[in-house]
Amino acid sequence: MSSLQPIPRNGLVWLLVAQVLVILPHLAHLPLWIIGLWLGCAIWRVQIFRMRAPYPRSWVKALMMLGAAFGVYFSRGGLIGLDAGVVLLIAAFILKLVEMRSRRDALVLVFLGFFAVVTSYLFNDGLLAGIYSLAPIIALLAAMIGLQQSPAGTHPWPTLRLAGSLLLQAIPLMLVLFVLFPRLGPLWSLPQPKDRGVTGLADSMAPGDMAELSRSSALAFRASFEGPIPDRDQLYWRAVTFERFDGRRWSQSFKSQLPQTPEWSPRGAPVAYSIVMQPSGRPWLYGLDVAQVDAGDVRLMSDFHLARPRPVDKPLLYQATSWPEALREPNAGPAVLGRALELPSTGNLRSRAWAAELRRAHQTPKATVQALLSHFNQQPYSYTLRPSPVGEDIVDGFLFDTLNGFCIHYAGAMTFVLRAAGIPARVVAGYQGGEVNPSGNYLSVRQLDAHAWVEYWEAGSGWVSVDPTFQVAPERIERGLEEALDAEQDLIEGAIMDLRRYRDIGWLNDLRFGWDSLNYGWQRWVLNYQGERQLEVLQGLFGKVDSRKLGLLMVATGALLVVLLALLLLKPWRREQDAQLRQFQGFEQLLARHGVARHAGEGARDFAQRAAARLPDAAPQIQAFAGLYEQARYAGQPTDLAEMKTALRSLRRQLPWRARVSKPRGGIDGDNL
Amino acid sequence: MRVLPRIRDRWLLKRIPPGPSVRLNQRRIFIMPTAVGMSFLVALLLMLLAAINYENSLAYALTFLLGSVFVVAILHTWRNLAGLELQAGGAKAVFLGEQACLRVRLESRGRLYQAVSVGWPKSGLQLVDVPAAGTCELQLSLPTERRGWLRPGRLRVESRFPLGILVAWSWVDLQLAALVYPRPLAGDLPQAVGLDEENGEGSRALGGGIDDYQGLRPWQPGDSKKRLNWKAYSRGQGLLVKDFTALSGEDPLLDFDELAGDIESRLSLLCHWVVELSSRQQPFALRIAETTIEAAVGVEHRNRCLRALALFGQQSAAPQ
Repeated sequence: MSSLQPIPRNGLVWLLVAQVLVILPHLAHLPLWIIGLWLGCAIWRVQIFRMRAPYPRSWVKALMMLGAAFGVYFSRGGLIGLDAGVVLLIAAFILKLVEMRSRRDALVLVFLGFFAVVTSYLFNDGLLAGIYSLAPIIALLAAMIGLQQSPAGTHPWPTLRLAGSLLLQAIPLMLVLFVLFPRLGPLWSLPQPKDRGVTGLADSMAPGDMAELSRSSALAFRASFEGPIPDRDQLYWRAVTFERFDGRRWSQSFKSQLPQTPEWSPRGAPVAYSIVMQPSGRPWLYGLDVAQVDAGDVRLMSDFHLARPRPVDKPLLYQATSWPEALREPNAGPAVLGRALELPSTGNLRSRAWAAELRRAHQTPKATVQALLSHFNQQPYSYTLRPSPVGEDIVDGFLFDTLNGFCIHYAGAMTFVLRAAGIPARVVAGYQGGEVNPSGNYLSVRQLDAHAWVEYWEAGSGWVSVDPTFQVAPERIERGLEEALDAEQDLIEGAIMDLRRYRDIGWLNDLRFGWDSLNYGWQRWVLNYQGERQLEVLQGLFGKVDSRKLGLLMVATGALLVVLLALLLLKPWRREQDAQLRQFQGFEQLLARHGVARHAGEGARDFAQRAAARLPDAAPQIQAFAGLYEQARYAGQPTDLAEMKTALRSLRRQLPWRARVSKPRGGIDGDNL
Repeated sequence: MRVLPRIRDRWLLKRIPPGPSVRLNQRRIFIMPTAVGMSFLVALLLMLLAAINYENSLAYALTFLLGSVFVVAILHTWRNLAGLELQAGGAKAVFLGEQACLRVRLESRGRLYQAVSVGWPKSGLQLVDVPAAGTCELQLSLPTERRGWLRPGRLRVESRFPLGILVAWSWVDLQLAALVYPRPLAGDLPQAVGLDEENGEGSRALGGGIDDYQGLRPWQPGDSKKRLNWKAYSRGQGLLVKDFTALSGEDPLLDFDELAGDIESRLSLLCHWVVELSSRQQPFALRIAETTIEAAVGVEHRNRCLRALALFGQQSAAPQ
């Protein structure tokens, strides 16, 4: 019978509010017809409540379900997968609104709402989204409370306040669970949110792609160093190497993607840092050369880039140690070197001829490289994101005709020439530099820091990195892309909202740094509080922990918090909560002091009469108080405590101060009232 | 077969002793998750699975938050009954077939108690709010099934507030009882002493020559308006009625033994005549088994007679 109870108005109001709040963050990835569906259903629901419209018949319901399923199918290309699943969930969440008749239906709706909030986290788990989600949760709790309230027109605000206080009271326990609950690895694999158009480095790049990337101020990753942050010109973050050139594009070689640790030996001082990288949709991780990462499935690939088997599709935190001065593959095998010498059979004849000339003029690869670098330095090459168009032979066109371009042009051309001169070389793509955030002492690296440079191989010294761009535009390396392109101020085109545009305004810039630092902390401490990170934090806090100790700790802290909350809520020290009775006890004690003690089991009226007879001076006051008390207590009339207090006060004033006629003993007995 | 309920009753008797006023304290309140609460927990489990599989910290956080809300709700639900006082109110006697109405008073000594349900499960619970430091009166109706004392037994007090995922309840025995008179059934008495069914209220059955005028006495409920002494009232002497003393030999005697039929139909017939004669202000006497109620008139007499009829053959004493 309780399941068929109608839905109180308060519950319905909060349910509607909660629905808006739940759906709002989903709008970014929902088809637009969902809004129309929600509006229609909400209006219908309100009309049902006002008895202006009937509940939908079963065939209408079936039709609406079918319609929604078709809508999802057509706008998402299927019913399988997370994206379609979420749309279906939201559609069900909306349709249930019209269909619900009883309290139980409404509770189903509330639970669906909680699920919808969980799915919104899969699409966006930023700091703002996390804080925002408190709003739909409070509204859903308020709806749950509203559903339980008696239908008599209660106001919606106290309901909300109660929901808020429930939530606040739950937070300490939630924190304990969050910190101590052991994190497991995924039990089985689930569909992930689809690639959300992630910008970033790709596994093959033409010059235009890199220019595109340079316009994006989206975050690529953040890095915190254990020691001081190295100088900018040391910060070459390797992502991937390009070994194949088809005349237009540089791309990753299949061989370099094998998890085959190359030969290398650490030298010099290591640099330790941790990185939180944004989802890239690619399997590679970023690191300074030569990086070692301890996370389970991350491997150093044969071309010294870090990668893991699965693409990075959510923010990833890892610890890395790098040896910048390490000796890399001093005895590389012919297979590796062969890959680093491959060139298309035709094209770029002028460059090939120049390479042959360089080879004749210089004895060692090192000298050839130096010659090339000084060529870039001394000839009128310029650095721009808008290179002049070149013809079929892009290397020739760049080197001898246009003489302008950006990093990928320089790196590509240099690699081409080195290979043509018989020196193994390859293009390294990644990021260079980063912005130091003074409020968090860490580095933010954005997509516009994407960079390409060159590494060549020489017997004995192994792979050596050189950056031709540095010869042309040293400020690009020393201060960053924006400094290098002062003339091209519209770099971050259309991004008026981008706070980086206003970096000259001091306080705004501080605000930006602060906000960025907050987000970084959120990622490090909240989003990446998983598996090993949790273990690391807990070991830092409690020393060596095992799961048994952890469980005990969780239960003990949780129980302690619940007990504290219970004390706070129930206030057991306030034993007698009855204000009227307290007043009466005051009355009794006052009269007892004047020699009239109440007998056990004596009623208020008899006692008052006896007292009035004994203390005739105060008789009217005694009778007045007793009358009020009786009225309040037994006649069920609205009690006015203030009136009783005044009556008692006037009685007290009427009685003499030191009139201890006789010592009352054992007469005060409030038990039998 | 019914061992379990009996054990439960005995245990409850010790734990929550009966009394006209019962205050709910921690020994007297029980709490359990409801069916909704169980499905809430299942939903939390599903959310936890999603959190684990997606390794999503916010999903973990929400799951833990709602789990903590569940724990906090235990305290809140429990608190929504704790300290509430229930007092038995009176109950008007009713005729068999009518709904018995039992009054219960709920008193708060401080907090507002929202959505408290009181009643007997078989006849449905009533939902009330008890205002802070105030009282709330409830009328619980129950169908009557037999004459005599109606004792509905332990009263269930429960609350699912605030979230509906937990229910706190108690069984209190306020010793509520309502007297059920027999069902009045119209019919003829065998020796109609100036009584017949057609005589309505305004009839002259009072018989001017039968009763002697005695004087004036103060009005009491049940006296006919026709006998009011309006002259005395206009003189400011209050409501007085003209008092007649019936000659005792002439008063009708409603005698159980004179009637035919089974016990219940005889009681029903007598019940009808007690009501009928009382409404006519006609004195009558009642004899039922060994009990004889002398002829008299008025509400008190009527109720005494009806009570005798209601309790005929039942040795159970009236509640204190």
